Amino acid sequence: MILSAIRFLLLLFFLPFCTLAQDASTLVAKLSAKMNMVKDYSVQVRIQSQIPLINIFPVNATVYYKQVDKFRIIAKGIAILPKQGFTDLAQLLSKKERYSAILTKTEQVNDVPLQVVNLLPTDETGDLILVKLWIDSTTDLIIKSQTTTRSSGTITANYQYGKQQAIGLPDVLVYTLDVKKFKIPKGLATDINRTNISTKVQPKTGKIILTFTNYQINKGIDDKIFKN
Amino acid sequence: MLLASTYNEFIKITAKPRSYLGLAAITILVGVILFALKVDGLSMISFVTTSFEQTLTFQGNLLNGNLVAFIILQMLIIHIPLLVALVTGDLVSGEAASGAIRILLTKPISRTQVLLSKFIAGGVYTLCMIIWLGLMSVLIGRVLFGQGDLMVLNSDGLVILKENDISWRYLGGFAVAYLALLTVSTLSICLSCFTENSIGPIVTTMAIIILFTIIGTLDVRFFDQIRPYLFTTHMAAWRSYFEVPLPTAQIIKSILILLGHQVVLISIAIFKFNTKDITS
Repeated sequence: MILSAIRFLLLLFFLPFCTLAQDASTLVAKLSAKMNMVKDYSVQVRIQSQIPLINIFPVNATVYYKQVDKFRIIAKGIAILPKQGFTDLAQLLSKKERYSAILTKTEQVNDVPLQVVNLLPTDETGDLILVKLWIDSTTDLIIKSQTTTRSSGTITANYQYGKQQAIGLPDVLVYTLDVKKFKIPKGLATDINRTNISTKVQPKTGKIILTFTNYQINKGIDDKIFKN
Repeated sequence: MLLASTYNEFIKITAKPRSYLGLAAITILVGVILFALKVDGLSMISFVTTSFEQTLTFQGNLLNGNLVAFIILQMLIIHIPLLVALVTGDLVSGEAASGAIRILLTKPISRTQVLLSKFIAGGVYTLCMIIWLGLMSVLIGRVLFGQGDLMVLNSDGLVILKENDISWRYLGGFAVAYLALLTVSTLSICLSCFTENSIGPIVTTMAIIILFTIIGTLDVRFFDQIRPYLFTTHMAAWRSYFEVPLPTAQIIKSILILLGHQVVLISIAIFKFNTKDITS
């Protein structure tokens, strides 16, 4: 009798964790399945960078992606992108054994309840430390992601969806980057004709806004495009 | 008469072997820099972009002809004053030493016109130098490395300029660089009026440039008041053409200060040359 009571109490104690773990796996599996629907795509992108210490005009480019990790961006001029970008999340989610998913909480963002899932890479020595996903479980879409790496710090991405919502491809992607480590090499940048040195305090974060148009999905992309 | 005298002065410049030293030096230096950039240019760029590349990636052709031209211009604009002074510093004192100036002044032309013709000839020579530098850096750079956006590093950070927004900036930049070199040419001719040997004005011109540059770079409050008025401070004004937004007021100020120096130096030279007792 006492043993049964203890078993019941233990079950009550562990049940929520089991449910959460299962929910996290289910959510991520649904996301992964959605991502797998896209075998390849090409898309026009307008890249607007608002990064302290970098003055750059918006750039138009074409992005090519092919599962699992083939990615190329072709811009006429110079374009700036975050180091942790398009393919990292898809690569991580492509193999279940690469991560452990934990549902940590539910957060209300713009009156939409979002499930916050932490993805912990199983490779402890790798560059990737943690991926945090804010998932809308009603649409199975990533609304926000936060990637923390040893080399690049933390990068947050906010997703806005449009026509390609059904297959999880965003229309607008806003990256927020940690730019505290940015430094100008003084020896190379000395202007002897500059008599008024700027004392303006630089913001610690920068933004890169990617606006996608004209998706061409699953139409086949020649592998030659991915060779430089 | 002034035109004929200027033509005569220019012929004299072209007849001196040392006049070709500058052009040869520019050709060799640009060749060496182009070779170095072709071999290891990307690692040079990564030295600038390293701190950004921890978080960002730069897509596109960073090492293109426009960047190569900018690097060449930045490297050589410091050395070209020496090549200019080598020729212009000799224009009056060289002739004074050889006695040719006495014969020249027997011609029916005023001393002021003789001196002005030397200034103009020196200016034309300086123009040839800057045009040659422009051809070597911009044209050959573009042929060897192709076109592309220009990434410029200044004290406020990185500026990335569109390919179709660059040519006019180079024209403006070269024009201001020419004004700066013309000031050096004017200074050396002015100093040339005070001596009767060739080496003196050339060495003194370089000494003044070095001294003013050191004053300009030393972070000492005492020099803050004079720094904006030194011509060496404005010798790098050509770089302002590669800033966004374009610092028009700063460029105009630099142009006016350089022109001001030229007017003062020419006036001093004319006064000295007109009152000089030419005995040999």
